[in-house]
Amino acid sequence: MIRFEHVNKTYPDGTVAVADFSLEVPSHQVAVLLGSSGCGKTTLMRMVNRMVEPTSGDVWIDDDRVSDLDPVKLRRRIGYVMQSGGLLPHRSTIDNVATVPLLGGSTRRAAHARARELLELVGLPESVARRYPSQLSGGQRQRVGVARALAADPNILLMDEPFGAVDPVVRNELQAWLLQIQDELAKTILFVTHDVDEAFLLGQEVLVLRTGAEVAQQGTPAEILLEPADDFVHHFIGGSRRHLHTEVRDGRRLVVDADGRVAGVATDPTGPA
Amino acid sequence: MNLAWVSANWPRIWDLTVQHALIALVPVVLSLVIAVPIGWASHRSRLARRTLLPFSSILYAVPSLPLFVLLPVILGTRILDPVNVVVALTVYGVALLVRTAADAFDTVGLATRDDALAHGHSPGQVFWRVALPLAGPALLAGLRVVSASTLSLVSVGALIGVPSLGYFFTDGYRRAFPTEIWVGIIGTVVLAAVFDLVLVAIGRVLLPWVRATDRTRA
Repeated sequence: MIRFEHVNKTYPDGTVAVADFSLEVPSHQVAVLLGSSGCGKTTLMRMVNRMVEPTSGDVWIDDDRVSDLDPVKLRRRIGYVMQSGGLLPHRSTIDNVATVPLLGGSTRRAAHARARELLELVGLPESVARRYPSQLSGGQRQRVGVARALAADPNILLMDEPFGAVDPVVRNELQAWLLQIQDELAKTILFVTHDVDEAFLLGQEVLVLRTGAEVAQQGTPAEILLEPADDFVHHFIGGSRRHLHTEVRDGRRLVVDADGRVAGVATDPTGPA
Repeated sequence: MNLAWVSANWPRIWDLTVQHALIALVPVVLSLVIAVPIGWASHRSRLARRTLLPFSSILYAVPSLPLFVLLPVILGTRILDPVNVVVALTVYGVALLVRTAADAFDTVGLATRDDALAHGHSPGQVFWRVALPLAGPALLAGLRVVSASTLSLVSVGALIGVPSLGYFFTDGYRRAFPTEIWVGIIGTVVLAAVFDLVLVAIGRVLLPWVRATDRTRA
């Protein structure tokens, strides 16, 4: 469980990154913070592992207030995946994955055995273990990033636009894969993205944020799609692109948006016209 | 080149080569040990950068011969003590290496350091396990310069009577005997090459990712 209680982050120059934010992410759920860059979503995420200290308010993980915990130990019990993959460029794949268990005092042998298990879990072949991050593809690097975040078997995963730097094909593949391993692992995940489709695909709960991490709307993807709270949310999630109807063109029933652009094919032949 | 002189004096040549190498080795190692923390401090603090870096540049501008003569007065050592030369050369080595070290730490990406912290490295572990190894290639390049410069400066010590290959320069010059001068020059160059090879070899062992990733890019 992750809980934010009225957190505020104001920088010394008066910039308000987070005005007043509260949220509870129940255990084993995926919550997505969705917003444009600069809305404070990454700041919120970094409060969980104390990379950013709130000016006021509290963050709790499970039954601990994070400000009561030693930051170094706290970070070792939270998995963290960054956009860049953030791997250590001078360590081989297997050493990168073994980082957190080693920092936590595991022996090298045990940490490497654990790292090999995880490489298998994230679907990477044995042959990448000895390679350095710069020798991997973008998609492989992100998988290694996830493997490393899982290595110490944390309850909580923080994912900061983890698939933002890879091409759309690989991104779709990684998203599907994440859903699949989440079925098995059931971690509590806080996921940050500016990609609406990604948010709706992955999140059980989605928060649309405006500047200052103000919650414009919070709900399931279906709730937000069906009842956008206001114009901001309506436009952010795609505006007229989300108003779909079907049309028959050249004998096929197509799904078309409000501007007449084709969005897909209707596979239900008896559906209403 | 009088080869008969070389073979007749081989034990003396070997002896002075070893002394030369030992007098050079200590300052090279000490320069690294001293310059790395100063470079780290300059990287971390603006105040340290504004004071320590200019100060180290000034040190390098002090001429070597007066420094050799002055150090016994400052350190209370005997004038012929090799410690004087070792201390002087360490000063030059540190002066050369501090800026390189500060720059080397600057080039370690903030994102990498941030990532290391976020995964639970303590600040000390960030230095030892992340910043220092990643600064390694630039530090090694700087150390190779220090090594070559130190080996040639050791010769100057011969002027104040500290034994090294530099003795062959002064003695050869005094006797107008070119063979002896050539022995001094070749000996110094060979030593510099050997030191350089050893440093490169140490780099290969300690910084294995540099070669592996270079091969990928090529």
